[in-house]
Amino acid sequence: MNPENQAWLRLRDHAAAQIHAGFADRVLRRAREAVPSLAASFFLSAATAALCLLAVALFERPAHRAAEASNLADWQQIAASSEMLADAQ
Amino acid sequence: MDPSPTTELVDLVRRAQRGEEAAQRAIIVSYQHRIAGFVYAMTGRSDAVEDIAQQIFIKMIRALDRLQAPAQFESWLFRLSRNTCIDHLRRQKLRRIFLPFGPEHENVPEPPGAVDSEELDALRHALAQIRPQDRALLALVQEGRSHAEIAATLKTSIAAVKARLHRAREQLRAHYQPNYES
Repeated sequence: MNPENQAWLRLRDHAAAQIHAGFADRVLRRAREAVPSLAASFFLSAATAALCLLAVALFERPAHRAAEASNLADWQQIAASSEMLADAQ
Repeated sequence: MDPSPTTELVDLVRRAQRGEEAAQRAIIVSYQHRIAGFVYAMTGRSDAVEDIAQQIFIKMIRALDRLQAPAQFESWLFRLSRNTCIDHLRRQKLRRIFLPFGPEHENVPEPPGAVDSEELDALRHALAQIRPQDRALLALVQEGRSHAEIAATLKTSIAAVKARLHRAREQLRAHYQPNYES
């Protein structure tokens, strides 16, 4: 037997030694566990995305309104200052 | 197609397809060591063997009722094993990109005592140098599978199997150095 074949045999023995007692029972037990269906996974992803969009909309709208009000107040102040300056000239 | 699957095996597969737990257990016990050898040849990691073998057999049980021809069970099982190992290697490659300092990083040595001989270490090193698809081919040959069976497993022609096998063997020989020191 050439050394390469010897090595393949050792590889097989070494790999077989990694399988511990009760392997088949563990596999069967895990195979029986419920697996979420594709539709359920899709529904969960869609629900998560919808919740994220809702959260963004809820938090973003008041922040946007506050920023708009602040900008408008600043512009009104600038406009009033410009008018005062024009009147003074 | 498997040339001469025994009637016992075909009967066992049919019973497993009907959900008989004893038949499913018998299949797992019959193939667990061969699948472990295949997984180790593909991944080169002792600590991954049992986990990946478990994934393969779980997939097997869940997909068994979709196997149309029980006579082709072995080809089907080894195709499932090959695809699972290649998926595992792809995931590992992606993890290495995103977690470059993670434990999955390439060249992490096997734990002490995991590899018990110089020949085995040299073979593992040589296998790591060639493409996973070619590794699968060599591992299937070592499993004693014929060119026709491998062609059925990989869904390709016998001529293509022979050509790829020739190239894979040459590459393995080029990298196989029993006095290799890691």
